[in-house]
Amino acid sequence: MKLSTRLLNLLTAIGCFAIAGIAVAYFLINEKFEWIPESALELVREKELLERPDAKRCSECHKDIYEAWKESRHSISWISKTYIEASENRSKEKCLACHIPESVTGEKPSPRLDRRDDGIYCVSCHFVNGKMNGPYDLVAPPHPTHRNPDYVNSRFCGSCHQKTFKEWKETGVEDTCQNCHMPRTKDRLTQKFPLSLLHKQKWVGSHKFLHGDLSEKDILMEAEFKNNFFNLSLLNKTVPHKVPTADNGDPRIYLYITFLNAAGEQVDQAKEILAPQQETALPFNKEVRFRYRLFDPVAQAIIVLKYQPAWSKERVVIWEKIIRP
Amino acid sequence: MSSARIFSLFIIFIFFLALPAQAKDMILKEPPQSLSKYYPPESKEPKWIQQMHKMSTHFGGVFVNLKEKDFENVDKHADKLVEEYKKTSEMVPEWEEYFDIKAAEAFAAAAKTHDMAKAGKASGGLGKTCGKCHAEQEVAVWTRFHWPSFRKIKVTDPISEKEMGFDDYMSQVSSSFKGVTVNFGEGQYDRSAKALKTFKSQFMELKSTCSKCHTTDDVKRFYVGEDADTAFAGLAKELNAEKPNPGKFWKNIGLLGKTGCKHCHLTHRTYSFIRETWEQK
Ligand code: HEC
Ligand code: HEC
Ligand code: HEC
Ligand code: HEC
Ligand code: HEC
Ligand code: HEC
Ligand code: HEC
Ligand code: HEC
Repeated sequence: MKLSTRLLNLLTAIGCFAIAGIAVAYFLINEKFEWIPESALELVREKELLERPDAKRCSECHKDIYEAWKESRHSISWISKTYIEASENRSKEKCLACHIPESVTGEKPSPRLDRRDDGIYCVSCHFVNGKMNGPYDLVAPPHPTHRNPDYVNSRFCGSCHQKTFKEWKETGVEDTCQNCHMPRTKDRLTQKFPLSLLHKQKWVGSHKFLHGDLSEKDILMEAEFKNNFFNLSLLNKTVPHKVPTADNGDPRIYLYITFLNAAGEQVDQAKEILAPQQETALPFNKEVRFRYRLFDPVAQAIIVLKYQPAWSKERVVIWEKIIRP
Repeated sequence: MSSARIFSLFIIFIFFLALPAQAKDMILKEPPQSLSKYYPPESKEPKWIQQMHKMSTHFGGVFVNLKEKDFENVDKHADKLVEEYKKTSEMVPEWEEYFDIKAAEAFAAAAKTHDMAKAGKASGGLGKTCGKCHAEQEVAVWTRFHWPSFRKIKVTDPISEKEMGFDDYMSQVSSSFKGVTVNFGEGQYDRSAKALKTFKSQFMELKSTCSKCHTTDDVKRFYVGEDADTAFAGLAKELNAEKPNPGKFWKNIGLLGKTGCKHCHLTHRTYSFIRETWEQK
């Protein structure tokens, strides 16, 4: 046999072994990971992952999740300008726990001492009892994992979103916080070669912790002119917690009403502030009514609903409507 | 020794910690700058308080173990107490004179005789040093490090939508309150009714400030809670009536002024006054 042929055969053999090896590894990791001996896993474990590293370290493998989290409010819960102002330069001790949690376990957390700039980060939410807790029963060669059903439950979020959790519970709606704020897509949990190929695709929850959008579908309005009065009602039809909702933030909805006469001149105006801190936010599926007495003839009412988040002074228009008698 | 004696010694011991040095006028001086190092935000933890708890644990530990006749631990706590006491004495240079290391050492020596009576007697000298500093400094420290500043809280006036400091906002609230009462007094009920609307929305805006310092909604039952709602409803009822009843009107004004303004001032404004005075220095 020619040397080149022999070399080719050898390479083919190695290739076959490699493919078979990868196939076996794929099978073991995804289907029969309980067959993998603990001692084999010990060899590939990265011990520093269990020493509460910063979020950047997790991004070496969980790149997509990291980038999503980076865009979330959770990643800036400690460095947010509005938070720093409200907590008097972070001197109010009562304000630390939920903004720099040590570990989330279903109760109000305690504040941590290290890596505070990372805010509410991977380790706070996932590292419990020496393992990465998550929704899946799986094997992750670099670190031990533990399937914990709490991760798909609202109570998990309720550790800190205590008031919102209470509001949600009272509605009796089944959709969890994660259903709406961490919508799932089929994807890989890791992006690092070759781990990304060896692990099957799974459902991944969006770590952007989406804020949620409001439109005409969500907040319905009814209004009428009747005997020198203008009656208006608002209904939060879709969001199973108050709108807006908050723990210590102060998000608001402003309702502006301008009354015009036949000449198009303003004859009166009214304003309502719908805010959780003032206990005036819109409850789920329950009409809230307002009544205004009119002193002059009115030809139309212009109604504008604006939303202002907890972390900004900017207001965005949700909708605008005109009502005529 | 009888346990009743031990108990009374304990009482004496605790008494010393709480006893003001002497009955005299109280002066509240702003705590020295060097103390800030031991409180947030400069320190991640409230280190000064932690130090206090350490001393207090070892101090108490001596007596608990004397009672249990666990003499090994009596000695340990006595040594630890001296060690922590010395450490504390070096933390704030301006306060060095409050400490009496000799008294601490004398107490430790007395404790090590394992004689409850001797330990009890020697504790007085040490306890007095704790008590003197507490009497002169504790309220000042509470004001400086546990009471947030109202002035740094910004409030958006719901009427003008302008943002302003808490004190300026208070002046606004106060003048719209007067708009209600003055107009009513003059028999101008329509104007009074209009002023009430402004005043109510400005008063309710105060509800948004509680969460800047408090983390439970329970506190909102006070000042801005049911009493205020009742008073506002009562006022609106009178002003919408054909012939307002002054008796009922003024009763509700009184309720609002007392539970809505005065009670909040009595609990919160005291500290604000002190801080403000220091800040004007
Ligand atoms: C029980 C947990 C918890 C505690 C304690 C807590 N917060 Fe928060 N905070 C939250 C949650 C959850 C949010 C997000 C929802 C919202 O806007 O309230 C938040 C949001 C905020 C926001 C709006 C977001 C931003 O970055 O501007 C501010 C400001 C804020 N908190 C300030 C404070 C202050 C001041 C304190 C102490 C008085 C405090 N928080 C204590 C849970 C907490
Ligand atoms: C060297 C690569 C690597 C690093 C670094 C890494 N992981 Fe993982 N992690 C994995 C792999 C592989 C899986 C399993 C993926 C799969 O099965 O699809 C996984 C799975 C997980 C899971 C899912 C657990 C479950 O049971 O649902 C969590 C949570 C997790 N990692 C958190 C973290 C956190 C937090 C960090 C940073 C402290 C981190 N990981 C760092 C590779 C890594
Ligand atoms: C450790 C406490 C904690 C936990 C657990 C937590 N959050 Fe948060 N969350 C916060 C804080 C604090 C903020 C505000 C951060 C900021 O803006 O400064 C926040 C902000 C948010 C926001 C953005 C709010 C806004 O005003 O835009 C959403 C949405 C959110 N969280 C959803 C969730 C969901 C869903 C879960 C559960 C999967 C969850 N959070 C778990 C503390 C927590
Ligand atoms: C506020 C808490 C919180 C933070 C912060 C957080 N996670 Fe998660 N994570 C969750 C929850 C809740 C789930 C379950 C979502 C689901 O599947 O419904 C989850 C799921 C996961 C999973 C399994 C895949 C999935 O979506 O089910 C991985 C892997 C993971 N997180 C990694 C990370 C990494 C890496 C970071 C930091 C960049 C991070 N997480 C930050 C709460 C958090
Ligand atoms: C049916 C979908 C749905 C569910 C379930 C849900 N939310 Fe929301 N959430 C929304 C929408 C839509 C918004 C935007 C409207 C708003 O600002 O209130 C929102 C807004 C928020 C905000 C932003 C604060 C604000 O109002 O400005 C927070 C924080 C939040 N949700 C937390 C939670 C938590 C915690 C849970 C679970 C206890 C939860 N949500 C359950 C849809 C949902
Ligand atoms: C130089 C002044 C000074 C001396 C000496 C001193 N303390 Fe204190 N102590 C303080 C101040 C100031 C506070 C209030 C701290 C705070 O509330 O932040 C305090 C608070 C305390 C507290 C209450 C802590 C809490 O959680 O509120 C205890 C207990 C205490 N001291 C014990 C002692 C004992 C025991 C000694 C003597 C061995 C002692 N202190 C000596 C200044 C002093
Ligand atoms: C600048 C900070 C600040 C603001 C704003 C504030 N408080 Fe307080 N309040 C305190 C402090 C500090 C205490 C002392 C006890 C503590 O730390 O909770 C206190 C104590 C109280 C107490 C006594 C019971 C308790 O919880 O300790 C009540 C009731 C109370 N406040 C109600 C209110 C209400 C209602 C509002 C809003 C209208 C409000 N506070 C606004 C700082 C504040
Ligand atoms: C949160 C509790 C709270 C409530 C409720 C409250 N106040 Fe005040 N008020 C304060 C505090 C604290 C100050 C001191 C502010 C400062 O020094 O920054 C103050 C200061 C004032 C001042 C002096 C303003 C200045 O320029 O320094 C007036 C006037 C006043 N309040 C009137 C009222 C009236 C009238 C009401 C009821 C309608 C009321 N307040 C309700 C807490 C409250």
